[in-house]
Amino acid sequence: MFEEKYRSMNEQIFPDQKLVDKIIYSVNKSESGTMKRTKIFPNPIIIFTMLIVSAITITPVLAANVPAIYELMYFVSPTATQFFMPVQKSHEDNGIKMEVVSSYVHDNIVEVYITMQDLIGERIDETTDLNDSYSINRPFDSSATCQLIYYEESTRTATFLISITEWGNRNIIGDKITFSAREFISSKHEYNEIPIGISSANINSSPSTKQVSTVGGSGVKYEKHFTKYDNSAEVLVPTPPMDFPIKGIDLTGIGYVNDMLHIQTSVVNNLTKDNHGYFFLRDKNGNQIEYDYSVGFAENFDKDNRIDYNEFVFDIPQSEIKQYSFYGTFVTSGLFTEGNWQVTFPLEEIK
Amino acid sequence: MKQLNYYSEVTVVKTFSDMVYRLAFSHTRNKSDADDIYQEVFLIYLRKKPQFKTEEHRKAWLIRVTINSCKKMWALPWRKKIVPLNETIVFETEEETNLHYELQKLPMKYRTVIQLFYYEDLSIEEISKALKQKPSTVRTQLTRARYKLKEILKEDYYV
Repeated sequence: MFEEKYRSMNEQIFPDQKLVDKIIYSVNKSESGTMKRTKIFPNPIIIFTMLIVSAITITPVLAANVPAIYELMYFVSPTATQFFMPVQKSHEDNGIKMEVVSSYVHDNIVEVYITMQDLIGERIDETTDLNDSYSINRPFDSSATCQLIYYEESTRTATFLISITEWGNRNIIGDKITFSAREFISSKHEYNEIPIGISSANINSSPSTKQVSTVGGSGVKYEKHFTKYDNSAEVLVPTPPMDFPIKGIDLTGIGYVNDMLHIQTSVVNNLTKDNHGYFFLRDKNGNQIEYDYSVGFAENFDKDNRIDYNEFVFDIPQSEIKQYSFYGTFVTSGLFTEGNWQVTFPLEEIK
Repeated sequence: MKQLNYYSEVTVVKTFSDMVYRLAFSHTRNKSDADDIYQEVFLIYLRKKPQFKTEEHRKAWLIRVTINSCKKMWALPWRKKIVPLNETIVFETEEETNLHYELQKLPMKYRTVIQLFYYEDLSIEEISKALKQKPSTVRTQLTRARYKLKEILKEDYYV
């Protein structure tokens, strides 16, 4: 069997103890404060002190052109702000302007502030998510991350901090970096542990079911119900959407199958939304009961009107369901925006 | 949702060392590159000190950073032109050594899903969450990877 051999081969792969010790040594250095690290949100007293000091000592280079972003940079990393090199290269598409504001090269790390501003609407907000569509091209061996760190409501501008760590101890000053993004999701809404008003009278005791090929599943007892190579599941036949408090997610079925409670939701065209969530139950004492397993399946798989379904299955006998209340946690997004934003800029140092 | 206990950074390194290293090796099939990626992943972890709601999230984050580090290493223009050192791990049996070399013929994008599915025992949904890809994409990759493996291994094994 392939799996057996593959597993046996993998058991012989592990890092050298010296390598592990080296990392653990880094942990100890980090904990004792000798390892260099950036504190994202420093002590407010330090921020206040640094703001005053910075206001007095700021260099003429930055003082000549101080947009709101620098105030943020002081907040994030006050001591480093004076070393940030203004870049201010931008690209506009679909009414969205992407601008590389500044970059800072120190040791083997490059930090870049990028803003995205909606010039014509309100598509950029504090929940803007680049939806894994961004890429950072650079001509050196490195790893990189990009995170939303700030949103300025008055200008509808989101600020992202890109951190790039170079691996090979080479001088990267003068190299060019290209940051690009193709799409983003925004207007996200989180529903955290909200009550779902499902009456036990609405639970179908003999619903229609069908067999489907699942696209995955989860849950504490998923393995009990499915073998590793089993992707077939009995699910509720979707019904027209019922009353449900989450906009963007439809409740398309609830009923008992083989004495297990099935609750089904669906999302139309979810590739542009990433709406998701889960249900749980609470008994009269407030104890939380998680679903045994969930399965996902899809209809119109490769078409524009694709529908993704999730079915959550609880092991609660029908005779006892009245003793439980339904709750759910969900995340939905309201806007999907596409474009082609790309900015190339050189890495420079402030002399 | 599980509420998790505090995990010290040393514990995290010890707990996930093998997983990160094996995943890096499964992608690169080269010890030297796996060493580099292993260090990179944990240095990012120690520098960022990310907070997670669950251990599953922590594991998924480490998987994702490892894969990103692998991808970025292979995406470098100069990297495509160099001949890698034949620095690898000595396996106990000839059969395992052969399997290791045969796996080098598998396209890189498929090596990750094979590792996560067959060794880390992740479901397609868990892989899709860890890699932040749609479950359908993962499923397609896994199907194609199995097909390729059958071709490569010439049906020596049941895949």
